Amino acid sequence: MRAFELLEPRSVAEASAMLLEHGEGARALAGGTSLVLLLRNRLAQFSHVVHIGRLAELRGVLLADDGSLRIGALTTHAEVAAHPAIRSRFPVLAEMAAQVANPQVRNVATLGGNLCLADPASDPPTCLAALGARVRVRRGGEAREIELERFFRGYYETALEPGEVLTEVIVPPLAAAQKAFYTRFITTPAEGRPLVSVAACVAADGAQRWQDVRLVLGAAVGAPLRMARAEEMLKGRRPDAGLLAEAAARAAQDLDAIGDVRASAAYRREVARVLVRRVLERALEPAR
Amino acid sequence: MSKRIEISLTVNGEPHQLSVEPRRLLLEVLRDDLGLTGAKRGCEEGVCGCCTVLLDGRNIKACLMLAAQASGRSVTTVEALAGENGRLHPVQEAFVKHGALQCGYCTPGFVMTTVALVEAKRPLDEAQAREALTGNICRCTGYAHIVEAVLDAVNNPSGGSEK
Amino acid sequence: MHADDAPLIGTSLAPINARDKVSGGALYAADLKLPRMLHAKVLRSTYAHARIRHIDASRALKAPGVKAVLTGADTPKPWGIMRKDEHVLAVDKVRFVGEEVAVVVASDEHAALDALELIRVDYEELPAVFDMREALAPGAPEIHAGTGNLAREIAFERGDVERGFAEAKAVHEAVYETPYQYHAAMEPMASVAAVDASGRLTLWAPVHSVHRTLLRLAEVLDLPTSQIRVVQTMVGGSFGGKLGEDANLYIAARAALACRAPVRLVNTRIEDFLGARPCMPSRIELKMAADAEGRLTAKQAEIYGDNGAYSGLTPEVILVTALRLDNLYRMKNIRTRARLVYTNKIPSGGFRGFGGAQIAFAHESHMDALAEKLGMDPVEFRLKNVVTAGERTVHDWKISSCEVAQCLTTADRLIRRREKRAARKANGPLRRGIGIGTSLHVSGARQLADWDGSTVLLKFNPDGRAVVVCGEGDIGQGGTTMLAQIAAATLGLPLEHVSVSVADSESTPYTWGAVASRLTLIAGNAVMAAARSARRKLLALAAQMLEVKEDDLTIKDGVIHVVGVPDLSVSVAKVCMAHQLRPGGEAVFARATYDAPTVVADHKTYLGNVSAACSFAVQAIEVEVDIETGTVRIVDIVAVDDVGKALNPQSVEGQIHGAIAQGAGYALHEQLVLENGRLLNGNLADYVVPNALSFPAPRTVIVDGYEPNGPYGAKGASEAPISATAGAIANAVYDAIGVRITSLPITPEKVLEALRARGGA
Repeated sequence: MRAFELLEPRSVAEASAMLLEHGEGARALAGGTSLVLLLRNRLAQFSHVVHIGRLAELRGVLLADDGSLRIGALTTHAEVAAHPAIRSRFPVLAEMAAQVANPQVRNVATLGGNLCLADPASDPPTCLAALGARVRVRRGGEAREIELERFFRGYYETALEPGEVLTEVIVPPLAAAQKAFYTRFITTPAEGRPLVSVAACVAADGAQRWQDVRLVLGAAVGAPLRMARAEEMLKGRRPDAGLLAEAAARAAQDLDAIGDVRASAAYRREVARVLVRRVLERALEPAR
Repeated sequence: MSKRIEISLTVNGEPHQLSVEPRRLLLEVLRDDLGLTGAKRGCEEGVCGCCTVLLDGRNIKACLMLAAQASGRSVTTVEALAGENGRLHPVQEAFVKHGALQCGYCTPGFVMTTVALVEAKRPLDEAQAREALTGNICRCTGYAHIVEAVLDAVNNPSGGSEK
Repeated sequence: MHADDAPLIGTSLAPINARDKVSGGALYAADLKLPRMLHAKVLRSTYAHARIRHIDASRALKAPGVKAVLTGADTPKPWGIMRKDEHVLAVDKVRFVGEEVAVVVASDEHAALDALELIRVDYEELPAVFDMREALAPGAPEIHAGTGNLAREIAFERGDVERGFAEAKAVHEAVYETPYQYHAAMEPMASVAAVDASGRLTLWAPVHSVHRTLLRLAEVLDLPTSQIRVVQTMVGGSFGGKLGEDANLYIAARAALACRAPVRLVNTRIEDFLGARPCMPSRIELKMAADAEGRLTAKQAEIYGDNGAYSGLTPEVILVTALRLDNLYRMKNIRTRARLVYTNKIPSGGFRGFGGAQIAFAHESHMDALAEKLGMDPVEFRLKNVVTAGERTVHDWKISSCEVAQCLTTADRLIRRREKRAARKANGPLRRGIGIGTSLHVSGARQLADWDGSTVLLKFNPDGRAVVVCGEGDIGQGGTTMLAQIAAATLGLPLEHVSVSVADSESTPYTWGAVASRLTLIAGNAVMAAARSARRKLLALAAQMLEVKEDDLTIKDGVIHVVGVPDLSVSVAKVCMAHQLRPGGEAVFARATYDAPTVVADHKTYLGNVSAACSFAVQAIEVEVDIETGTVRIVDIVAVDDVGKALNPQSVEGQIHGAIAQGAGYALHEQLVLENGRLLNGNLADYVVPNALSFPAPRTVIVDGYEPNGPYGAKGASEAPISATAGAIANAVYDAIGVRITSLPITPEKVLEALRARGGA
């Protein structure tokens, strides 16, 4: 690890000012499980590391009256997985969080840190994007909210502007008719990161027609990707196995998948097809 | 080299004031400055868990955390487990009893993960135990004896010390 | 004494150092800290093949905390375990990405790493070659002048191969490929070296053999052996990665001599990937035949072994690949050619199984394919061909004990192969299948020199406690526990009354250490002989003290009793004290040497019984294949082993479990991926090793065996099982989906491709 100066801000505003002051040379440190790794492998170099991990204003999980969920940026994956309100109202989120990396990492790594890193081979981005989540970011006194879909710009790239600190993740309420699913694919049980991940959020009407479908694919692509054409095929329809398979094939068809040491692009595309179909099939199953 | 910072760590119940370079890892400070070499450097990637210690009671990887991040917090290492006259902690007893170790390099990490499981006070079945061990890698044992030891320690917390 | 008579034999015991290991008190090399200790870090080549024009270390030398920078100029002597084809630090040329080029020694690791970035190496890139067959082709870049890129060629013919093929009812030909497997010991290689005022060097390191390390250090450093002492630290797993091929310990020693200060060199994980000399990749073109009765009639093998850039132990590894399985099945007609080829890649080397896993995968896959062509059951087919006790194999190995037939039938029965196959139904996209794999391994190998012995001193302390003084050491597998157990059982002492010395080249008699699964049989016999001798001494002394005949005495729990006279006894401690504390007295000790009844194989024909015993392993593995994603999940494992008498069943079981874990990783996902010689997955996130979810607890059976050459009937246990796993899994995959994957690892991607190639799933 190359040397750097560690700054300990006492507020988000101060952190923001520090990040602005040092610009490209600065990086915020939350749980650190990814940033420390980058630094120690000398893959990244920063003159200043701004430690936001102690800021109380970035903590806490709140279930608002309207049913929306606000998760403080420093909430760890373990806390998301264990939180009673999340488990009861957003079980898909709790189940997803319980699969991130491994237990020790989940005890330290934060949801905000995970999103800011924008590592495609990770679970939360895909799942949260399908839930229509957005993030709140602050710079000094200003705040803005960004839909997750627009937050991820690509491989390790986000819409965060210099000086901005992600403060919370806001998940809109899940309607009674909405069912959400997340699944990750790994080639062997020992693999820590998903090769392909798929999340679906589906609302069926009384006639079992799918009125609202959000289908997001991750890990196989640089940033979570809405499968818009597949969604279109399903919207307003009463799907059967054939239609789901067709939609899955459509989703995989125009996928510009990553190919790397873990698997080829063609394989990821094929698995994406299978995984999309399997997730959609789960949405068809009667509730457990 | 960058300027040093002052940190305060409580390690195994003892407070320490240390002056460290910001880039130093919690693992390095435990091993090099405090002489607590039970936690090991294994993969340096957050996978193997040889560096597992408890931070405020939770199992974490000391190789993925700057020492400065742990300032003001409480760290427990494997060295703190044995009681008076070297009497082993029930988790340690269970690992010995089940032959849940060979080379021993990963063992402190597995033991600390298991201590966290015991302290969570929730019984585990085999599948849950295996899931809970996914942050620790052992290359020697093939896990079977470790899983036996973990189930024994977690589900019979008062047992394991029949000697 | 027969096994049944000896206490402790056949009893499950925790490792004697288990308490230290669970307490964090066990000291590994990276835990050692000496006053004034410096830290070294290594600069590695970024080119696969290049000439080193110039190294400029001037800026690094001026960096804070830096004490020295060493380069190839400081290590000019060519060396190598089998071939003198390498240097500790590259001289003139680099031949793989990752080769050690320079070393910074500094006050701490961070300072050394900072300084590494300041060294400038001026390289002139040379054409490189990465594929074995391309490397052998005319006009290929020559990696070592004058070799034609051939590091070793082994060729032999036995019997009449053409006739064997002509007589056959079924012939099968296939090409198998195996990858680099990385040992992935949890402890990366680490060494601490120190030099005293007279220039005498001490090295503390996790090595397999302190004495062999001593000889190699003397050669590399040009020092007399008396100027070097090697002490084994705790070994945090090796699996062959710490056999002494890695440059780490030589660099630490050279740096300590240069700085006249203690130096610690701890590999990072990526350095361990590059330095540990992973399992030799192979290409095996195999043709085998069997007659209508199911007897193997002929075998022809064309084997390519990927040496990488330097040889290390690989010339011996490929010999094992060439010969090993011919000793498992009765065969007369064999033609084999094996060529070890230099490429500009990471040098391969010794890995648990030592060349056996490669050939066992090919051979066991082939056995199933042949059985199918014959219309025979694969287990029946194997039973017709496996060797039995008392036989001499085609390579003149003497099979002194062999329960492999029993292993096969037991594994087959416990996995319920026939019942399950009969009742099998597809479950959506999931298909199940069961496969069998078989292997064998030596217990010692008289291969590197004409001695495969062990010398042991057994000394008694005044309190009646015994110390086994021997240089065999422990590589984490429990070797010292086994030796303590044999000593305690033979002496009639409680296990806690026996300790085993640290392997220290200075104070222990010369021996080879933990290689070739030799400790149980060879060191075990030496310990047993020394213990018997000590026991006789103790009884003679006690007989004098108690005024009875020696024959009337026995030792139990550290007390010498007169048989049938409960009141008449004396403790071993008292005997030891009485023997010593008198004019002309002496501490009680005994010495014994055991050298195996084996020969060095003929250098031209490779004929000769190199090992006093063979151990056998059979695995029956059930898998579930997802035909839509290609993933292979291990559902059930039955492992049945013939290890002779299992001295410590829990420990033997642990060896089998661990071997299966490595074998399963080899079968399904472990491989170093290189692109133009550059390692792409040199970390444990991308190079995935099995975790606790990878497979269920294997059901292990240790058959009731007895090895006449072994102590209390025991033989080696640690290596045979690793070689059985990949074949069993490949056969299970075939059983499940009807396609045979002939290249390891059996990745989901390969499974899908094979299904697609067959035409529809």
